[in-house]
Amino acid sequence: MINRNLLDIMMLIELALLVVAVAVFFAHGFWLFLTEKRTLRKMQAARDSLARLLTRGTINLEEIEGLRKIARDLQVAAFLEISRNLTGAGKDRLRFVAREVSLLDRTRKLCESRRWTRRLRGARLLARMDVADPIVEKLLADPHPAVRAQAAEWAAAHPSPTVISAMLTMLADPATQARFAVQDAMLRMGAIIAEPLAAFLETHSGLPAESGLRVAEALSEARFLPAGLRHSASDDAGVRMAAAKLLGAIGGAASAEQLIKLLKDSDSPVRAAAAQGLGRMHHWQAGSQLAECLRDSTWRVRRDAAFALRALGAPGALFLRRALKGNDAFAADMAQQILELPAAAAR
Amino acid sequence: MESISPFMSQTFVKVQFVVLMYFLAVNGWYLILLLSALLEMRRHMLMIADESRYLLLSSTLSPTISMLAPAFNEEATIEGSLRALLALQYPSLEVIVINDGSKDKTIQVLIERFDLVPVKTIYERRIQTKEVRNLYRSSTYPALVVVDKENGGKADALNVGLSFARGELVCAMDADTLIEGDGLQRMVRPFLYETDVVATGGTIRVVNGSEVEFGRVVRPRVPTQAMAGIQVVEYLRGFLLGRLGWNRLGGNIIISGAFGLFRREAVLSAGGYLDDTVGEDMELVLRLKRLSYEHKGPGKIAFVPDSVAWTEVPESARVLGRQRDRWHRGLADVLWRHRGMLFNPRYGVTGLVVFPYYAFVELLSPVIEATGLITLGIGLIFSLIDWNFAALFYLTAYGLGTALTAFTLILEEGSFHRYETFRDRALLLWWALLENLGYRQMTVYWRLRGLWNFLRGRKDWGVMERKGFQKPVGVAETT
Repeated sequence: MINRNLLDIMMLIELALLVVAVAVFFAHGFWLFLTEKRTLRKMQAARDSLARLLTRGTINLEEIEGLRKIARDLQVAAFLEISRNLTGAGKDRLRFVAREVSLLDRTRKLCESRRWTRRLRGARLLARMDVADPIVEKLLADPHPAVRAQAAEWAAAHPSPTVISAMLTMLADPATQARFAVQDAMLRMGAIIAEPLAAFLETHSGLPAESGLRVAEALSEARFLPAGLRHSASDDAGVRMAAAKLLGAIGGAASAEQLIKLLKDSDSPVRAAAAQGLGRMHHWQAGSQLAECLRDSTWRVRRDAAFALRALGAPGALFLRRALKGNDAFAADMAQQILELPAAAAR
Repeated sequence: MESISPFMSQTFVKVQFVVLMYFLAVNGWYLILLLSALLEMRRHMLMIADESRYLLLSSTLSPTISMLAPAFNEEATIEGSLRALLALQYPSLEVIVINDGSKDKTIQVLIERFDLVPVKTIYERRIQTKEVRNLYRSSTYPALVVVDKENGGKADALNVGLSFARGELVCAMDADTLIEGDGLQRMVRPFLYETDVVATGGTIRVVNGSEVEFGRVVRPRVPTQAMAGIQVVEYLRGFLLGRLGWNRLGGNIIISGAFGLFRREAVLSAGGYLDDTVGEDMELVLRLKRLSYEHKGPGKIAFVPDSVAWTEVPESARVLGRQRDRWHRGLADVLWRHRGMLFNPRYGVTGLVVFPYYAFVELLSPVIEATGLITLGIGLIFSLIDWNFAALFYLTAYGLGTALTAFTLILEEGSFHRYETFRDRALLLWWALLENLGYRQMTVYWRLRGLWNFLRGRKDWGVMERKGFQKPVGVAETT
């Protein structure tokens, strides 16, 4: 019924597969077992060697030679491990040692590789050792988003004018990963980014503007006011919402006036953000407009308006109490819930 | 022998050949999945090599995650599990425990041990759920919220949690799942990297036999108990071969209910969890996927292999049988609800490849396997088929599967190698070899029972008995 040969072939194939799998499985385990102790010993030696090189005033060439001889992966691991605990002069010294053992040269070569995974590794190593190398700057325009993101992480500690310019361009990056890394790096750069970002927001719109406005909101500097006002009239709802949040963070009469206008925006998240902003500013003059929002068709807008009224203190509470007696059941319900909240919960 | 007509005899042989071809095709597909998983694992390992997650940990831009932990009669384990949850390494975390009308002292334990005080809050009830009785906040853990509600099942509890959650992302889990300290940091990456991701899932590993301290697995071990040991192999194959393989092919439609991260707004817009199915986790993911095709919106489901949670698996055939029965009922129910997707080009790769795979391989395989085994037995008794054929059948149906499982173990060994000792490796291999000698046939029976119970309209969860991680405690988990 069944050709015996077919059966034999099948059995042989399966047996071969199984033997290969078992052999590889155990061989890997055995290799790990054998190398683990040796690796630990060498790693400890590398650590000790590095620690001596970094703490003593003089450079011992023998130590450097010893470090140069250890396996590359161990070398990298030892440098990265110790780099976490160093800043300033200590890190300078680490970079010097890394240069002497040719680690930096090898890392630079990784950054120039045609394979993105190697460029990523190179950028990671240079970022973690805080090496100010123009080669990483080039990687800000890398074709692979993971490499661009890594380069942006590096850029946070190296805010030169060209780096900042490249970072601003990356706010329009189509890859979320790269945009997230750029926004985060800009926040870490702090005040130095404020002026170029404000200028950037004056001239850009759409996705780059939305990404930039998020950074501006976190920085909350008054110089972003013109940008906030301009983008609050954008055609894009996401940009208007980001602008409303920025205006709420900056505060001031001009912001408040614009936020009151945004309470009538066609998009509910924008209205909610405007209400939040007015509450954050404690702009009591907006009480009646916020009270109108208690009748909004969207629950979130009603809630944020009610919270904003509560944040206004006595004038806001007056509007909430009035809403209790009004003819709109939704507004009355929301007002009731907010008024019943304990102070801590309202905050 | 003579009593069987030639027609019957031919039919028998034809059936056997059809079953044989089916197994050949299924194992061929698994081979494709294995290759896909290997490529995906290599890419993933290169991506995470020397990765530093401290930026994500300290970034003000990291999205808030709300952990939703439904608890039903968990008084014995809730304190330990919750302390481990509160200690997860993530910058913006909210933990919402939903006491689903427990009949034991779960809520009292929570109130006493976590200094809970009743509070009022405002929440939008976008999904109809059972009534919320009380809401508590902790005076010692600001990130902790406890919702006490009437019993309504896991799906209902998760829906309540969704209403109270403030996070952009919500993590659905079982109250007794042990998530690794950096599990969330790892799992959130796809959301930061891509705009079209709506859900991510991590690897679930078996905790039985491992050493657990303060809600963390400190030394993973392979259990010596057969039932649990074989499940370790099963879980490794399911996650490292199945989910990872599908990840590359764009066909993931399952996120484990024990540990999954979702975009909150996407889940709320889809209507939350369905409470009239026992496969609520798969149903939600398939619905999100379906809606993404229908509305041309985001709908990517990503699997993150290095994000790990540990769960306890049943060690008795009786409890395991109930679990597998429920899983298969859930699968049948979900596929039936979304049957319109089958071979429908509107749903792209999900409709044309993934759905048919789940329908014809995952759902129907016990029927075909049982048919193959029964006809094989009858055929041998009446000498309709010879022993050579029986051997070929075994090699095709089970031998290839064992070889593929062994390669999955290599995938684990070459990537995360959580099991470090020779003993553990030998045990893993031992259980992989034993799996097809009885255990697999039992699961065929349980899954057939599940299919039968689905056809009868049974929708209960059954009772899950757990030993507990540190000391044996029997806790009924589900409603």
